[in-house]
Amino acid sequence: MTTRTPLRPLARILNARARGENPDAIERENLRLRHEAIRDRARGRAQLRLLFLSLCFFSAFTVIGARMGMLAATEPMEPRSASSSADITAGRAEIQDRNGHVLATNMMTHALYVQTKDLIDPAHVAHELARIFPEDMDEASLYKRFTDGRSFLWVRKVLSPEQMQQVHEIGDPGLLFGPREMRLYPNGQLAAHVLGGASFGAEGVDSAEVIGVAGIEKAMDARLRDPSQAGVPVQLSLDLTIQSAIEDVLGTGMAMMNAKGAAAVLMDVQTGEIVSLASLPAFDPNDRPNPVLPKGAEPGDSPLFNRAVQGVYELGSAFKIFAAAQAMELGLVGPETMVDANAPMVWGKFKIKEFENHNYGPLLSVSDVIAKSSNVGTAHIALMIGGERQQAFLKEMGLFDPSPVELIEAPYAKPIVPKRWPDITTITVSYGHGIAASPLSLATAYATIANGGIKVTPTLLKRTEPMEGARVMRPETAAEAVKMLRRVVTEGTASLGEVPGYNVAGKTGTAEKPNPQGGYYSDRVVNTFAAVFPADNPRYVLTVTLDEPVETTGPKPRRTAGWTAVPVAAEIIRRAAPLLGLKPQVDPVPPDGLTAVSN
Amino acid sequence: MSFLEYRVKTAPTGIAKVFYIHWALILVVTAVAAIGWLMLYSIAGGRIEVWAEPQMKRYAMGLVLMLAVAFAPIWFWRSMSGLAYGVTMVLLLIVEFFGTVGMGAQRWIDLGFMRLQPSELMKVTLVMALAMYYDWLDDRKVSRPLWVLIPLVLIVAPTILVLMQPNLGTSVMLIIAGGAVMFAAGVSLWYFGAVIALVVGTVTAVISSEGTPWQLLHDYQYKRIHTFLDPDADPLGAGYNIIQAKIALGSGGWAGKGFMQGTQSRLNFLPEKHTDFIFTTLGEEFGFVGAFSLLILYALILVFLLVAAVQNKDRFSQLLIIGIAANFFLYLAVNLSMVMGMAPVVGVPLPLLSYGGSATLVIMLAFGLVQSAIVHRLR
Repeated sequence: MTTRTPLRPLARILNARARGENPDAIERENLRLRHEAIRDRARGRAQLRLLFLSLCFFSAFTVIGARMGMLAATEPMEPRSASSSADITAGRAEIQDRNGHVLATNMMTHALYVQTKDLIDPAHVAHELARIFPEDMDEASLYKRFTDGRSFLWVRKVLSPEQMQQVHEIGDPGLLFGPREMRLYPNGQLAAHVLGGASFGAEGVDSAEVIGVAGIEKAMDARLRDPSQAGVPVQLSLDLTIQSAIEDVLGTGMAMMNAKGAAAVLMDVQTGEIVSLASLPAFDPNDRPNPVLPKGAEPGDSPLFNRAVQGVYELGSAFKIFAAAQAMELGLVGPETMVDANAPMVWGKFKIKEFENHNYGPLLSVSDVIAKSSNVGTAHIALMIGGERQQAFLKEMGLFDPSPVELIEAPYAKPIVPKRWPDITTITVSYGHGIAASPLSLATAYATIANGGIKVTPTLLKRTEPMEGARVMRPETAAEAVKMLRRVVTEGTASLGEVPGYNVAGKTGTAEKPNPQGGYYSDRVVNTFAAVFPADNPRYVLTVTLDEPVETTGPKPRRTAGWTAVPVAAEIIRRAAPLLGLKPQVDPVPPDGLTAVSN
Repeated sequence: MSFLEYRVKTAPTGIAKVFYIHWALILVVTAVAAIGWLMLYSIAGGRIEVWAEPQMKRYAMGLVLMLAVAFAPIWFWRSMSGLAYGVTMVLLLIVEFFGTVGMGAQRWIDLGFMRLQPSELMKVTLVMALAMYYDWLDDRKVSRPLWVLIPLVLIVAPTILVLMQPNLGTSVMLIIAGGAVMFAAGVSLWYFGAVIALVVGTVTAVISSEGTPWQLLHDYQYKRIHTFLDPDADPLGAGYNIIQAKIALGSGGWAGKGFMQGTQSRLNFLPEKHTDFIFTTLGEEFGFVGAFSLLILYALILVFLLVAAVQNKDRFSQLLIIGIAANFFLYLAVNLSMVMGMAPVVGVPLPLLSYGGSATLVIMLAFGLVQSAIVHRLR
């Protein structure tokens, strides 16, 4: 602000008075000048602000003009709905096997519903529907539902195209179809327990949500429904061809051995990928049976029950190799170290006997303990190891925890492990009694031995990167263990397991089933054969488990694994090994007409 | 007594006023209105009687109103300002409290030949009242708190009533246009800074508190805000109109599909095609060229108004013209932004183009006031 000029400058007033003029005129004049100055300043400020407003207008016009240009330059796009109703219709991802063959896909179908107020002739509609769907509809009850006052009702969740056409031909405007995306398993029962199944979740007229109800469909439900990966199939480690072969052989074997159930797991020992996982009896995931069982039945009696994963069995002598391997790893024994095998062995009030009261004693080499499946020999080896180290080792092998495989049922299948661990437990566990694990867990533990001692993490998904795992035992120990397992086939209890060219190694296990009333059944057993092949360079582990088998071709019924599970496993290896790309190691037969010459 | 009333010795009288009227402004306004008639004719599928003819009649009526207002001296309008504001407030109160019960929740008053929305009228009378207030007020008192409070009350009172209707678009326009008059009147920038800071602070607090234990609104209110701000999230609900509008504009391209060839608006994809969303038809049928030409015409009107404001030495006239210019600008800026997806849909018509009585007549009335100020200015 400039300094204010006084309204009555003294000098001018005095001069004016001297000249006899009215000094007030000077004040008025100065006041007028000051007001005009103020007004000018205000107007100047107002014009500055007006300029600012104009600038605002101008920039807004520029923005609008630019936006017009942008819109004119863009290609118009139809809106893509992002609302929740659209999410339901977004396709569920396919499931494929390791070679890209389809295991689960989607199919468009229709649901049938009725808006009763639009029905012209409810009686006729009820009659016709009962004719088209004779198995699940009843004319009288349909008519009752059409006329009891409700305005809307579902009649059928899915229709075949033929059924839809027939319903359409009834021609009543009250009959309406809602599009449905339905899960389809084109291979029927194949790999049913892995896939599980799916059903409808939230249902609307225009669409219904497809949700997994079991198996990998439920375990990976979020991934399968993830809209951002809708077109990306989930690829499993399963091989559809081998799965088919194994289910075929296993089914025949189960029938021949009069078993009520069977399970098989084929696993790649380097990667932990499950190439095949079968459980019989199976079901069709396209039409899952009712899970409710009759009273008194075991859960294992349901076809929905996955024996390979949910079935927790005492696996018997198949466990003996763990004791032998650990003792060798700890340096307590070598393969040819002689151990006490004098049967029966008395430990406190318990008596340890061999199968059919044999006595392999007084001394057996460790290798022979495995080959002959000596309970007493194994017991002595286990006592050398001691309970604590035994527990630590079995836990490391994954036999104390549920299998981490990608099935919704897996976390609930907890192995049964003794709570207390006195020496008698050390003894019984060493030959697979008093501890129960699933066939899958057993296969995983065998794979750990077969691959040279790297802990295996089983998976049903095709691995894109190599498996990483901790080393559980030295490669030399693992190699010796496999050599012992090979002897079980060549000289021991699994002689029926030999498959020419594939050098099968393995261990049998026969365990009597526990009686819920206490004790064990003598005539109900679970037979297991855990095989490793080829023995000189192990690539795969196969476990075959038969539930309550009995081999009846001989004079006496036979219930040992060597007579039941082993031949079935051998047949599986004979069929599957070529499919796995393994070359048989047989000496080439010289073709006719050529003579082998040696000098 | 207005400053002009005792200073103007040269104001034209009688029929001579015709020569002082801003005819160029009327020409451009008529051109814009004519574009509107063409669009209404096209949207109605080549029928004039549906929307184009009533709109032409309204325009003719508005033109007569404008000239009549222009012939009355600006100091008469200055003296009428307080009364006009008061009457509009009463009308607003009537539709607010009696409209709901007695007239089926309507927000207009039926004048027989048209339906008047008091909220539209308030856009002009508020500007008049504020202009008169600042003309009366001593320049030195403009920024004193008490003298700032009075215009604030003048703005906020009708805004609250309009907001209760609810009419968000008009409320925003009342606040911004009123603020523009106060800004031009020379109110200290600190007040504007404070208001802006307060608004920004509140919005930030509300937005950033979402999902925290101390969040200021309910979850469903946040959901509404999100749909309001992002129509793409709900393309079949709240976002439907705006997405269809963008498609129409995009399909128009640079040169458009040609007169009467637009499908997006003609095929009833757009429910508000003849009112708030009329611009999309223009964009679809005449493309960027047509749309940009309209923008140029609007800019020309605003330039005329701003020049008239600068030329006018009378404070009332100046502030009145600025307020009207701000209103006109807000109409078109808000409408175009919302049609082109830059702002949420708040229901503001495109001035002179959109089918509708109140807005057209109110705009013509406002231009009449501008003409009066131009005719009776100090020369």
